[in-house]
Amino acid sequence: MNGKNPVGLTIDGLKVQAAEGTNILRAAEQAGIDIPHFCYHPGLEVEGSCRMCLVEIEGLPKLELACSTVVRERMVVRTATDRVREARKDVLEFLLAEHPLDCPICDKAGECYLQDYYDRHGLYASRMVEPRERRDKKVPIGRGLLLDRERCVLCTRCIRFLQQVTRTGELGMFERAVHSEVGIFDATPVDNNYSGNLVDVCPVGAITSEDFRFKTRAWFLARRPSVCPHCSRGCAVVVESVTNYPLAKGERRVYRVTARENPSVNGFWICDLGRDGRHDVDDGRHCAVMKNGVPIKGLSWQKAVADVAASIRAVSSPERAGRITVVLNSRLTCEELALAKGLLVTGLGLDQVFFADQKPGSADSLLLTADRTPNGKGVLEAGFSPRLPGLDELAAARVLLVFGTHLLDHFGEGEIARALAAVPSKYLFAAHTGPLDRLVDEVLPVAVPAEKSGTYINVEGLRQSFVRALRPPDEAAPEGAILSCLASSLGVSLGDADAR
Amino acid sequence: MAENGFRLLPGDDESWRLEAYLRRGGYDTARKVLTSMAPADVVAEVRKAFLRGRGGAGFPAGVKWGFVPQGGAVPKYLCVNADEAEPGTFKDRLVLLRAPHQLLEGILITAFAVGIRTAFVYVRGEYARVAWRLEEAIAEARSAGYIGPHVFGTDFRLDVAVHQGAGAYICGEETALLESLEGRRGQPRVRPPFPAVVGLFRSPTVINNVETIATVPQILARGANWFLGRGLPKDGGTRLYCVSGAVRRPGAYELPAGTPLREIIEVHAGGPPEGRSIKAVIPGGLSAPLLTPGEIDVPMDVESLARAGSMLGSAGIIVIPDGTAMLDVLLVTARFYAHESCGKCTPCRIGTSWILKIVGRIRSAGGSPADLDLILRLADGIRGKALCPLGEGAAMPIQALITKFRDELERAVAR
Repeated sequence: MNGKNPVGLTIDGLKVQAAEGTNILRAAEQAGIDIPHFCYHPGLEVEGSCRMCLVEIEGLPKLELACSTVVRERMVVRTATDRVREARKDVLEFLLAEHPLDCPICDKAGECYLQDYYDRHGLYASRMVEPRERRDKKVPIGRGLLLDRERCVLCTRCIRFLQQVTRTGELGMFERAVHSEVGIFDATPVDNNYSGNLVDVCPVGAITSEDFRFKTRAWFLARRPSVCPHCSRGCAVVVESVTNYPLAKGERRVYRVTARENPSVNGFWICDLGRDGRHDVDDGRHCAVMKNGVPIKGLSWQKAVADVAASIRAVSSPERAGRITVVLNSRLTCEELALAKGLLVTGLGLDQVFFADQKPGSADSLLLTADRTPNGKGVLEAGFSPRLPGLDELAAARVLLVFGTHLLDHFGEGEIARALAAVPSKYLFAAHTGPLDRLVDEVLPVAVPAEKSGTYINVEGLRQSFVRALRPPDEAAPEGAILSCLASSLGVSLGDADAR
Repeated sequence: MAENGFRLLPGDDESWRLEAYLRRGGYDTARKVLTSMAPADVVAEVRKAFLRGRGGAGFPAGVKWGFVPQGGAVPKYLCVNADEAEPGTFKDRLVLLRAPHQLLEGILITAFAVGIRTAFVYVRGEYARVAWRLEEAIAEARSAGYIGPHVFGTDFRLDVAVHQGAGAYICGEETALLESLEGRRGQPRVRPPFPAVVGLFRSPTVINNVETIATVPQILARGANWFLGRGLPKDGGTRLYCVSGAVRRPGAYELPAGTPLREIIEVHAGGPPEGRSIKAVIPGGLSAPLLTPGEIDVPMDVESLARAGSMLGSAGIIVIPDGTAMLDVLLVTARFYAHESCGKCTPCRIGTSWILKIVGRIRSAGGSPADLDLILRLADGIRGKALCPLGEGAAMPIQALITKFRDELERAVAR
């Protein structure tokens, strides 16, 4: 209970304990009682304007807001009485009176608060026969976000998010009364690295993203938890993908990456870099083993691993330590790093094990860290001292195994080509296609983090395990599986390190 | 009128200057209070006097002051609400024009009692001339040493600043006033916390109406018992009743709390013009449910009006004469609230607009009793659910109007 004193109260006859200072809405939620609301969001200051969360509190004559009323010892709250339900129906009826009811073409349909509450409160006949207000339905507000003012319920979550979380304040409320509308100030659109959260916080379909707009229906999406791999923060995310639905040609698998609540890491938010990570999962992926720059249909990754093993075996034992060169990266999970350590360092006794990662970017004051890799701490914990190889060190190899494509962040393509020209056997293990593909003998497709189960250690040293959110494409395999397979091909026992 | 020599309003517009105020004994009370009384005793005296707020809610001022936490490092503020915008109400304008020093003396005493060093007067945007006059009065008081670092040569320091609104009815609601004063969009805040604890700039704040504060010096000059004697045991003193509409002498009348409404209209304001009669009376500003001629034998105090199913509100009396189409009254009422709803909370924002749409339709194209029922139902949907009292204030008069003049309205919309 966050070290605060627990307060005992009764909600709908249920004895509930909540930490001191908790509001009724949150306390009820923790007890499994859902109190309808629009403007309340646990990550934002209480606004109290939608009036949907009114509840009965014993001893008080009027209905009170569950969002702004803090729990008190022996408080008796009722959330399902006729009076409460009537009040909710009144508020809902008002909201629906000015709502366009364009659910069939609304991205939010299926996950819309207004739709859900309408359904739950059985408001099937509208008494509104007057003309509805006509408002702009497609206002660009920046960063690929579109505002539909007819759908907006004026909960001000978006405005408050930009005031209280990013402190950039790009959105404001304009006009008055029924003409009130959300908008940007003059020509200064939303422009910050957390803009995508506006779609997440919108309880209705008022703010949508061009990237998701009209692409699929919410109910086709499987929502699986994962950890964001795009910086060292390790934010909790939901990977929303179409899995069991027949995919049309060229259709996406991952339609969006959204924020998942994790109070000890990211609260309720993720940055746009992490959200755009959906491209990392779907765009430019290797799906088949590639030989000499040509994808080979039907060649399994296990067969390709046999080629790698053969190349390694061709190097005599005394030469191995200095002439088999491996480049790893900090996107590998702790489990994969342990396998790499067991196979390459302990098993094969290699000296030439390097790391090549994305260069650091700039950090912001919210979540994004400068380190754009998810497991730098895990690399250290596995016992590696990560160092970028020199071009001469690459050129000196007889067998070169490169995991990931980030050599390109540090060296020019031409330089790498010249260095690799002299290497007799070279293999690339990569998730995405790129210029390195042509420079190696074989490319083995690998999984991206969302397609893996494993553990990352974030910037604060927090270990976070995650399970596979979706299947890797065709012949792609997690690096861990490849390393294990290689170890058994080479007869190296990994003992405890073998995660299989 | 108050014949015993103590009036809030001087009879003419020329006696507002400091010199004239001093001739009437002005600032003597504040000087006495600041130099010889303990702040807690001042609060106790005002509480005993049962000075109800003159702005509309009628909450006792002394009790409100008692909610302000004493001690602590944060500053405390006084906000005087001069955003007089309730239709039918014009008393604060008169106080500010004719007796601005009376208000400043009240501010001094209140600030001293509550431990406040900064006071703001939030003046309605349309009251430009009023604001200028108040600024002049403040300048006079400052040069006389009644406002500034050493009030009356004591260690008591007080600054008074005038702030002009921008024309929104909602800014008369105390928390919307605070938002506006802080430079934000004028919209009410959710309570709790109450302004007495978390108010202007998140500091403890007293918010009182102009007339309320201007009445304070009387209490400290003559004592709570004298004040109670001029009103009722639970509603002390005289107050300013504004009478407008179909009367011979519209104006502001300073009379004891509890003066019968009929007496105010017929005796003081002279009753309706020759040949006209009263059709309805709004007793306390537009938000107060109207009364029929048979209901106006009611004492004008907070509790009596509440018992009569209306409210004293700002004591702005609007007399509606015979021959007035109540459908027109319904339209202007609905239009006012739909126009002035700040838009923050759902019931008021959409409820007032929906009601206006219905009234507009049935007035131009006719309608049925079901339309009137729907308006009643929608007004009920606003009541008890809005964020601030203005939602209630929008719904109540519309319900009363339809309920009390149902037959006429049904005939008017039938085509």
